[in-house]
Amino acid sequence: MSQPQRTRSRIKIYFDILSSVQEEGNAKPTRVLYRSNLSYDRLTKYLDELVAKGLLQEVRSEDSRYYTITQKGSEFILEVKKAEAFLKGFGLSL
Amino acid sequence: MVDELYLANAVLELASGIVALLVSYTAFRYNRLLRSDILGFLSFGFMLLGVGLLAEGSLHSLISFNIGQILADRALVYVASVIYLILQVIAYSSFLIGYYRSSFGRFGVDTFVPMLSFIVVHTNRNPLLLGTYVNATVQLIVVILLAFVVFQGLLAQSGAKGRSLLVLIGFLLILVAHVVILASSLIISPPLFLTGALVQFTGFLFLLFYILRSGRVVPAAANP
Repeated sequence: MSQPQRTRSRIKIYFDILSSVQEEGNAKPTRVLYRSNLSYDRLTKYLDELVAKGLLQEVRSEDSRYYTITQKGSEFILEVKKAEAFLKGFGLSL
Repeated sequence: MVDELYLANAVLELASGIVALLVSYTAFRYNRLLRSDILGFLSFGFMLLGVGLLAEGSLHSLISFNIGQILADRALVYVASVIYLILQVIAYSSFLIGYYRSSFGRFGVDTFVPMLSFIVVHTNRNPLLLGTYVNATVQLIVVILLAFVVFQGLLAQSGAKGRSLLVLIGFLLILVAHVVILASSLIISPPLFLTGALVQFTGFLFLLFYILRSGRVVPAAANP
């Protein structure tokens, strides 16, 4: 009988990235990298996906680049938190 | 007396069915976002329970008001009850598979074959020939499945942080209800059957409280 794989799902990775950006306010990629526990290549890929989906906004200035969460991103975090709370009652997790 | 009993039972079944469909919809809504197999199993199981309870409740309502002389056609009532019982077996099997996959990962086809073949054997036979035997047998299967679900839920909850016991208590009450309903069919006691329906409804009420409570998540404030 095999044990379940505990790799993070795409949704969970989205959630972790968005949560770290939300907590930081204006989050630089290195901060998000540190908090989301991803390789740089994978983080870049996920950040691009989140920007394309309208969950994050990329802000570029002359010497820096940072991300802010959009209204849609905040709503996504809330929905995932509700789903997690729902599953927790059944003793389950994402 | 019989009419009042059917009516009380119908009200409890209809209310329980509405709660079951609400739980199913909640799981479906989150599953649309998260694409989680576990949520899919929960949604499917509660949908079957809800539809079955609403169908049974509607039938018992018609009987209680003696609309269409349904009670005169006992075969219809009996077949409807058997279908409802089979729906319950599939629903609780679905919960059990969800818990199993959550605890042990994906399973091989052979894992649930003995259980499913047992169900198929009983569904393929003509239920009208089996009398109370089929009712008691399927109720017993439901009780065993629910006991597994409660046990798996207990195991899952034992290691969880910030756990809520509302769902576990809900399932436990539904298990007790099915034991009471099984006993009522064995000793042929309508009041005991009604008690079982009442305990089942209380179990669904716990699930309703949980759904309402889990939906109240406060949004996190961003850093300035």
